[in-house]
Amino acid sequence: MNPLPPPGTPGYTQALLADDPIWLTIVKVVVVFALLLVMTLFMIWLERRVVGRMQQRPGPNWNGPFGLLQSLADGLKLAFKEDIRPVLADKAVFFIAPVISTIPAFVAFAVIPLGPEVSIFGHHTALQVADLPVGILVVLACSSVGVYGIVLSGWASGSPYPLLGSLRSAAQVISYELALGLSIIAVVLYAGSLSTADIVSAQQNGWYIWLLPVSFIVFAISMVGETNRAPFDLPEAESELVGGFHTEYSSLKFALFFLAEYVNMVTLSAVATTLFLGGWMAPWPLSLIPGVNSGWLPVVWFISKMFVFLFVYIWLRGTLPRQRYDQFMRLGWKILIPVSLVWIVAVATLRVLRNQYGTISAPVVLMVGAVVLVVAIVVALMLPDRAADDDDAGSEPPVVGTYPVPPLDLTVPTSPPKRRRAVSRGPAPETAAVGSGQKEDA
Amino acid sequence: MTTTIGEAIGFWILGPVALAGGLGMVFSRNAVHSALWLVLTMLSLGVIYMLQAAPFLGFTQIIVYTGAIMMLFVFVLMMVGRDASDSVVEVLRGQRVAAAVLGIGLAGLMIGAVAQSVGVPLAAGAPSGSNVGGLGLLVFQRYLLAFELTSALIITGAVGAMVYTFAGRAKSKAITQKERVAERLRGPLEKFGSRSGPGVFATADSVATPALLPDGSVAPESLSAIIEATARERLGHATELSRPGDEHDTAAHSHHAERGEIQGSQT
Amino acid sequence: MQGSAGLTAYVPLIVMFVLAGGFALFSVTAAPYIGPRRYNRAKLDTYECGIEPSPQPVVGGGRVPVAYYLTAMLFILFDIEMVFLYPFVINIDALGLFGLVEIVLFIGTVAFAYAYVWRRGGLDWT
Repeated sequence: MNPLPPPGTPGYTQALLADDPIWLTIVKVVVVFALLLVMTLFMIWLERRVVGRMQQRPGPNWNGPFGLLQSLADGLKLAFKEDIRPVLADKAVFFIAPVISTIPAFVAFAVIPLGPEVSIFGHHTALQVADLPVGILVVLACSSVGVYGIVLSGWASGSPYPLLGSLRSAAQVISYELALGLSIIAVVLYAGSLSTADIVSAQQNGWYIWLLPVSFIVFAISMVGETNRAPFDLPEAESELVGGFHTEYSSLKFALFFLAEYVNMVTLSAVATTLFLGGWMAPWPLSLIPGVNSGWLPVVWFISKMFVFLFVYIWLRGTLPRQRYDQFMRLGWKILIPVSLVWIVAVATLRVLRNQYGTISAPVVLMVGAVVLVVAIVVALMLPDRAADDDDAGSEPPVVGTYPVPPLDLTVPTSPPKRRRAVSRGPAPETAAVGSGQKEDA
Repeated sequence: MTTTIGEAIGFWILGPVALAGGLGMVFSRNAVHSALWLVLTMLSLGVIYMLQAAPFLGFTQIIVYTGAIMMLFVFVLMMVGRDASDSVVEVLRGQRVAAAVLGIGLAGLMIGAVAQSVGVPLAAGAPSGSNVGGLGLLVFQRYLLAFELTSALIITGAVGAMVYTFAGRAKSKAITQKERVAERLRGPLEKFGSRSGPGVFATADSVATPALLPDGSVAPESLSAIIEATARERLGHATELSRPGDEHDTAAHSHHAERGEIQGSQT
Repeated sequence: MQGSAGLTAYVPLIVMFVLAGGFALFSVTAAPYIGPRRYNRAKLDTYECGIEPSPQPVVGGGRVPVAYYLTAMLFILFDIEMVFLYPFVINIDALGLFGLVEIVLFIGTVAFAYAYVWRRGGLDWT
């Protein structure tokens, strides 16, 4: 066996994990697998409860304490539903597509470090299933394989809505995967390693969210696009495409797509935590207490940080309307990608200059700023002009036939105080929110 | 460097899988199935690279080839249509002969290259440091020119894609949502979308609910051919007598429009 | 970290792959046997919101907008760029100023292609 490098240096976790006996590996994999299943069930419940609160209704509260067993009941119910395969479907591909979309979702989570070195049954190991020297690429590779599940499910259904949904989804996921991959680059630059464990240990003195805010914002936006979640849930836009790529799926096959979506959410939240929020390290005021970053306690920090992201996912869904497809692609291709590229160049330049000249003096920064400004102006000049809108033409109220048409600039009067009070008083009965975006009443 | 046991096991599992993928790609009748077999080959190649202690190359293979290039193939195949299959007509004259000659030539070259490399000792170990690090130093120092030429390749790719997809398309101004709404409000009445007549009465709006004619009998055009719940034995036998059954199918084209009118008139 | 020591790092991934794959395959295979089977021809037809399905899927048998092809093509180009950036940032300290000039040239060239596609309207979805 290789001698262990000293703790905290790059490659330490890899060497530590290489000594794991096979039973320990299997135990870890099974535990992570179970954790992801439970997280999915819990997330569905949490999402319905939180969105329910946001829409002034209680959400599921009948099965189990606080309705906690609702998603379990739903899952079991799905298993006992009829499995339908449309006649026009491509048999083999229709069968294999849910499997293709599920496997990468689970595999990607394996590289996430959940905690530092601990002792399990007298065995020293890291709380991580696998640590590869190229760990973060596993996440990208898994997401690029996972797209196939969506594309193939839509194609194999032999039906227009799923096909449209799958095409949209594929174009969306590949576009946002670019932004995702580019935003990781700055983190890799500072950590000096692609291994997830090394990235976490490199954040000992400061989380990358403070050092690399632009990367973090790009990552946070593109991870929502990557998981097909609101406001970017165009592949399964209920109002346009019925259910999107999984319209023709039922029973456990549908459940697998659902599972994959939620596991992907959990995985990307975990990746964001690892890259930008210091992984399992304790947040600032708590990190002053000695011993808080060792043993099993860091798992708590990790899970709590992960839930911050997961809550934001739910919050976005409860708040924002769905984007139009062209707006969405414009955001990805015309904003996120150029911003990432410019940011990478800026960070790399700063890094090299600092290495060359020790500290950076003010003139250097000014010079760099001037260069960036010139580049920005040149790029701005290259952009196509937009024709001026003719706004005035739309001011007079249109009259069409005998139909009464409201004027375009109609201002809706505020509702009388009595009714406003009635609305804000207490949670309304659940039936009041029919069609308000509760897509998983499955 | 000798082959370790893990590497050998991996090779003997993944090699046949990659080969099967290649054969499946050649022999599949459906174009999308062919592409999927090729994806399988690419994936197993990626894993074989990882087994050869080249993890970066392996994951790059999966990200770029499986995730990007094969996705392009799948898009193109979907663009062609799902029932497209190989045509047996030879479009280019002498194409098969040329393909056979070139194929045999390529096989000969590869066999020669592999045979030559058997006796040659492998490169002396991996470069120092991590795999990605060593690779980066090689790419950015020793193979600098090749690397910069890649960007020329990328430009060519972008221009080519633009020429193919945008050939002959005039650059038109995109219509904004606001303009669309204004146009719809000012446009002719038909653009308002569906309008239900005043006082329409229907017990349900499912396709399974047949429309009634003004005299109260079931409109045969509104009976679905495929929904058993509205089977003719239940609802349509009166109409079966009055109308021959095959007329139902010929009427299917104007189905929706007629049904809409019938339901509208049913006040 | 060569040879077998390097390979053991993949063992957990393989175990995870097998476990997730087994679970998914089991679910997919078991689904038809667990659930009820009540034959109904309408159920097996394409779902189009209650109207009778069009004889051939509108897009399945027809065409897909060419913009998707362009998106996939651009994705390949940027993916290649991204893949080159990873080894660069790992080695940024070793490569120094020379490497920086090199990568800025590379990114600039790709940005040129990007600007061309943008100006020609290749990034617009109408």
